[in-house]
Amino acid sequence: MQPIEAVLFEPVGCLAEFPPEPFQEIAAKLFRRRKQPSTSGSRAYWHLLNLMEAAGEADMAPALELQAVAEASLYEDVPPALIELKAMGVRPIVASSLSKVAISRFLEMNQLGGLFDRIFGRDDAGGIKTAPLQSALRNMRPDRAIYLTDAAEGLKVAKAVGVNAVLMMNDPDEARRLALRDPAGGIVSLHELPDFIRVVAAENAV
Amino acid sequence: MKNISIYRPTSVDEAIQILSAHGAKAGVYAGGTDLLIRLKNRLAQAPIHLVDIKKIQNLRYIKEDSGGGVRIGAATALSEIADSDLLKSKYPMLVEAVHTISSPELRNASTLGGDLLQEVWCQYLRGGYACWRNGGYMCYGAIGDNSYYHSAMGGRLCYAVYPGDAAPALIPFDARVKLATPGGTKDLSVEQLVPGDLLVDGRIQSHVVRYNEILTEVSIPAPKPGLRASFEKLRPRGVWDFAMASLAMSIQVRGSAIEDARVVFGGIAGKPLRETVVENFLKGKTLSGELAGQAVTLALANAAPLKYNATKIDMAKGLLASGLNRLNAAN
Repeated sequence: MQPIEAVLFEPVGCLAEFPPEPFQEIAAKLFRRRKQPSTSGSRAYWHLLNLMEAAGEADMAPALELQAVAEASLYEDVPPALIELKAMGVRPIVASSLSKVAISRFLEMNQLGGLFDRIFGRDDAGGIKTAPLQSALRNMRPDRAIYLTDAAEGLKVAKAVGVNAVLMMNDPDEARRLALRDPAGGIVSLHELPDFIRVVAAENAV
Repeated sequence: MKNISIYRPTSVDEAIQILSAHGAKAGVYAGGTDLLIRLKNRLAQAPIHLVDIKKIQNLRYIKEDSGGGVRIGAATALSEIADSDLLKSKYPMLVEAVHTISSPELRNASTLGGDLLQEVWCQYLRGGYACWRNGGYMCYGAIGDNSYYHSAMGGRLCYAVYPGDAAPALIPFDARVKLATPGGTKDLSVEQLVPGDLLVDGRIQSHVVRYNEILTEVSIPAPKPGLRASFEKLRPRGVWDFAMASLAMSIQVRGSAIEDARVVFGGIAGKPLRETVVENFLKGKTLSGELAGQAVTLALANAAPLKYNATKIDMAKGLLASGLNRLNAAN
């Protein structure tokens, strides 16, 4: 792996635990899909993105999207990890298929605003899934960036744009399944991310 | 099989020169019970230039020093430690601990230095998975079967436990080590030697020894007056296995009061884990049957077990109660 210069974060599942219900409701409302029984906000979110992509739909229901943000529970290791990354000179970037309004609300609610270098949502990227990542990587070598994800769809998206996909191993059973999909790496907690980047840097220095 | 070169220096200085010349691809070869298996397991971090230190004369000894302590050469076999009358008389707990390391055959070959600096024995690493210690960027133990050989106290990238038994058993005696380096001798406590996973010369390891440094000696101060010590180890099988949890502890008793204490858990974390909360609790207390129950409630409050290894914490707490009861019974 090349030395890492930036980390792309998808808030859903990587910065916070999102509730599945608002995403399931959006899927039901826009695509008449029955609510899925999944308890994972991340899985419901990526399922919705797949439906949007298939239908060529550019928007979620804004009120429900904001409800998901309002009910999201920030992982406690996020602020210290972001501060440490910045101190190391690594750029934390939000690259998400959420709307810019939803992302801004999420960052504001959790007092994370000053901790990200850039923010790319689906509206300014002009699309979902790969589009925000492509926008984020416009002036950067993709092999020098990490994209954190806890979902199989996230791994596919990362592979499509050539960025190093790193698994957030929130759930050991799910992580064990996803590990078979050949991610570039995996971490148990965000507090390991700075060490991950240091190990890669040290290997490149030898 | 990789192409391996073996060097047989006759002095520590010569060994350091060879290690320095080959960088991180060189490694010290003594007993070989860890290193040769790392090679056999084809681990990415296994050295290919082996510097055999068995021909160096002054690394294999057990002798009493002028202050009543004992010095042990790093290349001393574990069986020699297990059979040493000097050590039995001064530090019976250490001898008891060494008797629980692997099998008699392996103790004949394994050295004290090798036991202190051995690589972790995670089944995923040894099974060739591309984990943090084997050229990859993931800990399979954190998401796989972590019942036996993984930390129940959290981790940093790699969640394997520090596997050695000698280090936990030496820490209660405030033992120290000497490292020969290109710039002279380094003197460290055993705790400083094995502080848990860290990045040394571009690789993750449990100890601080750099590629061109050699552990030469372990020194144990004279036993303090009133010192009592205990070691117990629980393992998946009755013999010949690594600790699922172990406890080495010492207390220094004056009259009936505990003046000082060392409580060191093995097998549950990425390093020998000193439980200073319990140590501080014990200081000033009177050794009694009730003490164990109180100490157990305070112990390991920061436990962070993985999916399958919470039982290690119960084992460790049980060992603490057992250890204190043993020391009380010896009253």
